[in-house]
Amino acid sequence: METHTEPNIEVRLAVAQSFRTLNTATDNKDIIAALQTLSSYLNEGPESKTTSPQRAEFRRAHFTRSLQFLVSNIQADWVHGLTAAQRTELWDGLFLKGPPEQTLLVLMDGIGELSASAALDHLVSITEKFLQSHRLADLLWSYSQQTAPSDSPQLRETLLGRIVSLPDLTANKLRLNNKPLFLPQQYYPLLATEMLTTLERTCKALKGGTDCSLTFVAQTLGKVCIQGHSGLFLAVLAPRLSVCSRSDMVWQRVCWKLFENVPQRWVESVLTGLVQAVSGPAALGRIIGNLVLTNKKAQFVITHKLLLLQYKYETRILRIILGYLAADKDRRPLLIQVLRSVSQAWANPSAVKHTSLEQQLYVSKALLLSVSLLNKSELQELHSDLLQCMLGGMQSHLDSSVVRIRHVGMVVGECLSSRLDIGGAALKFEYDQDEETQELLSLMTPVTDDEPEAELVNVIDSPQEKTETTPHAEKETQKTDPDSDLDSDDELTPYDMSADQELNKASPPRYLRDCLESLMSSDDPVRVELSLRAVEGLVRKNAFAAREISVQLTKVLLHMEDKYSISSFLNLRQAAMVALAVTDTVPVTQYLTAEFYSLNYSLRQRLDILEVLSLAAQELSKPNKETRERCSLISNSASTDLTPYPGDNPVHWRQEVEKRIQSKTRRLSKGVTKPPAKATPNRYAPVAGHFFFPLLRNYDKPQMTFDLLGSDHLVLGRLIHTLGLFMHLAVNAPVAALMGRALLDFVWAVRYHVDQMVRRGVLFAVCSVFLSVNSQNLLVDLSDQLFETRTWLADVAERDTDADCRSLAVQSLVLMDQSLKKQLQDPQALRMES
Amino acid sequence: MSRPAPTPVYTLRGAGGPLNTLHFSCNGGDTPLLYSGSGKGSIHIWNLNTRRAERIVEGHSGNSIIWVSTLQTTDTLISQGRDMQVCLWDLSEGRSEVADSVWTGSVGFCQCSVLETSPGNHLLAFPGQQTEEIKIIELPSKTLVCTLVPDTKMGMVMCVKLWQPDSGPGPLLVAGYEDGSLLLWDVTQRSILSQTKAHPEPVMCLTFDPERLRGISGSSEKNLASWTLDRQNNLQLQDNVTLVNPGVSQLCIRGDGKLLASAGWDHRVRVFGWKRLKPLAVLQYHTDMVQSVAFSDHQDPRERLLAAGSKDQRISLWSIYNEGADTG
Repeated sequence: METHTEPNIEVRLAVAQSFRTLNTATDNKDIIAALQTLSSYLNEGPESKTTSPQRAEFRRAHFTRSLQFLVSNIQADWVHGLTAAQRTELWDGLFLKGPPEQTLLVLMDGIGELSASAALDHLVSITEKFLQSHRLADLLWSYSQQTAPSDSPQLRETLLGRIVSLPDLTANKLRLNNKPLFLPQQYYPLLATEMLTTLERTCKALKGGTDCSLTFVAQTLGKVCIQGHSGLFLAVLAPRLSVCSRSDMVWQRVCWKLFENVPQRWVESVLTGLVQAVSGPAALGRIIGNLVLTNKKAQFVITHKLLLLQYKYETRILRIILGYLAADKDRRPLLIQVLRSVSQAWANPSAVKHTSLEQQLYVSKALLLSVSLLNKSELQELHSDLLQCMLGGMQSHLDSSVVRIRHVGMVVGECLSSRLDIGGAALKFEYDQDEETQELLSLMTPVTDDEPEAELVNVIDSPQEKTETTPHAEKETQKTDPDSDLDSDDELTPYDMSADQELNKASPPRYLRDCLESLMSSDDPVRVELSLRAVEGLVRKNAFAAREISVQLTKVLLHMEDKYSISSFLNLRQAAMVALAVTDTVPVTQYLTAEFYSLNYSLRQRLDILEVLSLAAQELSKPNKETRERCSLISNSASTDLTPYPGDNPVHWRQEVEKRIQSKTRRLSKGVTKPPAKATPNRYAPVAGHFFFPLLRNYDKPQMTFDLLGSDHLVLGRLIHTLGLFMHLAVNAPVAALMGRALLDFVWAVRYHVDQMVRRGVLFAVCSVFLSVNSQNLLVDLSDQLFETRTWLADVAERDTDADCRSLAVQSLVLMDQSLKKQLQDPQALRMES
Repeated sequence: MSRPAPTPVYTLRGAGGPLNTLHFSCNGGDTPLLYSGSGKGSIHIWNLNTRRAERIVEGHSGNSIIWVSTLQTTDTLISQGRDMQVCLWDLSEGRSEVADSVWTGSVGFCQCSVLETSPGNHLLAFPGQQTEEIKIIELPSKTLVCTLVPDTKMGMVMCVKLWQPDSGPGPLLVAGYEDGSLLLWDVTQRSILSQTKAHPEPVMCLTFDPERLRGISGSSEKNLASWTLDRQNNLQLQDNVTLVNPGVSQLCIRGDGKLLASAGWDHRVRVFGWKRLKPLAVLQYHTDMVQSVAFSDHQDPRERLLAAGSKDQRISLWSIYNEGADTG
């Protein structure tokens, strides 16, 4: 016992003596001697004046105290009395030689306590040196050894916090004077290399037969990741681990152990970081081994969370995860389990309706990838499940009103059916090949990725190579550019020759009644086509004749079918009907709006009615009617100046809204203003009601063939769009306030409709109400609805699954707030209110 | 994005009948002139500065004029009518009288072809009394040089083109016949040099570029056939150009050999690059068959015009591809 206590007392006395000397002495020699005494306890080696137990005792009990003493006296006179060399050797040396964990704690405390001064700068520079001299690796290594300093969990926790959040601590303290080394971009890669050094030492030690513990290192890793620095950190760590674990079994074991030891609560962030950092499934497999099988949390993250709950990752990540699951026969059951759950998620009709498109795309990719990874026997085993999934899922996807979702359904259906090999009959759909479908299709072909990891070691060389090669490539392309362009024909650029169509033998009809006749009863394709082409021009040329038979002609056109597959039939028919509706507005709109709700029309016809009405309303509200008419009279083919057939795409109304918003934005520099347009009466305002109100009737009366609030969402969506458009065009019309009120009432019932097309329509309609109804009316007439509308819009803006809906909701909120603010700031209006 | 289709620079109205033929004369005097022959037997001389008909010459006793031209060196107008006469007009000093006339005896629609052999002397090729016969006379002496009749049955002569090759001694003539054949005649030898069947239908029109030794012919179907002459004076068919609508009444190559224009029965004039027959423009203005196209012979290439005469009694004038690659 005595032998133990004796050195302890000796050391304590010596240290206390040194402190006293430093506090009181005025002579430089005494001070240097005292510091030398202290540092002598840290010097190891044969020439050391102290004994090993003394050194151990100093490290254990007095080192921290000594450092704290030094830091607290950093401003003292005797420190300034030292020469620079002495200071570096004695003063700084104490910090850099002792146990690193204690040094780090003292340094961080010191930095935290001191205010901006030369002393702080000094501590910061010591910290920099501490990091540069790889003391962090020593620190981590000291905790990996069996002889790790035994300390309390609290201390470890603090130490961990200090190591991981060093950049935050220094940034908070030093603000703009922060050192580049402390920035996350430099610090975390440094930490990662230090960790790699530690792991390498561990490997060596294991080969030498010494046991090591990776708990602390794993904790550091976990903590770095949970604090959100996994990207920087693992970008350095993961490639190196993948290279090292390739050939070396010990390294592999060390990696597995490392990730096994990561505490449960940090596993998720480590794994998500890792899958993004590794280069391929094989690398992931080497680094984490069968972690998914042993660790419940890891299993949940890999097989469920990354695939079904999150969807922000690239396809590469999906490939890595699923490839990892498929790579080992122990993990393959998990792949099958994943496939089951993914296929259920894909086929779930409610998921199709209620999750965002991005997520559906992500799940589809996961499904296709995992199917492509299955082998024959597994396919056989899963045959019925997949078939079930395919049939159900395709139905719900094809039912969707969103084109992209339908495409996804088609592509997945095609891929699954070709993989399942159902009696040799694979499905085949017609869809546009765009980037998205191409990508989905490409997922079925497995990528043979030879990991280019061997080259990773000499990464630094490659940029040079690149800079050398690129000019060559450029030169070559330039050489090929001037092709044999000496030909005289090629310098003549052709004119537009699209009007060069085949000529018809027969002459077009010259009277509207002839057109009507031939459209009704003729069996001659040429005559029908000529009449159809002539109708629009004739209607516009002779408004009186058109008024006599407008309704009859509209009826014929509405019921007309493309029997002879006339080119641009739909455009011609639509243009003719629009011309009729513009020429003889009231009767034609009455007829069309009444027919919209009557029996025995196809959805296409009902959509046509809506399109004709909206185009007619647009044309009526345009002021420059004369020029347009002249154009259409001059060009023989009336179809050229028509807008392309709108079909399913709701782009044109969106453009309208954009235009309106543009016009509301005030531009300070306007340039030369155009001469003011000639004022003409708005032809739409007086008849807006005829377009609008009849369509609001009857919407809730389902019929045998037409159930607007039931399965016919498509028409409902278009109807609401169209009503919104009427509303929007009725700006400044007296009837606008009335229309706005009716429209808000109408859309209220369907504001949470399952179909996003309907919801978009509703939001567009609300937007147009706010744009068209002037702010005073808004406040006076619609005040009771405004609050509810506001909360609903806020809810949609936050939670809707469709990105368009969200942005539209935000837009309407902004519009609403703007007009309300304008109204409330206007004193006159307030007076009226009171 | 291609440029929008061109529009005419101006139009000439008032010819009072369908226009069968056009001829520019912009190189000689102060005022650029355009001669047009109408279906009502009148020849209009249009002043392109005032854009009015300067003079109207009535001849051929009201019969349709199918061809007009001028003899460059002698300032003489030459016209061919359906009354089987080719008339030479003296228009100097305000006169408008027939100086001379040749009886052709042809009832067909074949237009004549004229070639200047030496200043003041011309060769004129015209269809003869027999359906397959081509006669060549010398002007102004009106002596018959030769009569060309093929041995085999080919039907009526539809169009002829006379030129003087650089290498050979005598002038050559290419003629299109009713059965779609093209014959190359050596005028001095009175022999057929080459023969080819270019079209299944009658050859309606042809033109030949003596510089490139390349010609093109049109028919009542949708194809234009281009052909070349090799060194042995063999006609060789080259590529076909397919039109949208069938029927071509006239073909014309611009003086600089860059453009080819076709007068279509579908009321449109089509413009091609002559070298590769690349379609360049479709000129739409007329409301009836276009029967004639002509490129003007302005000295300044920027003033060059393309004229199209149609059955709708109008002449449209266009200015395209006059300044190079960018502007037309």
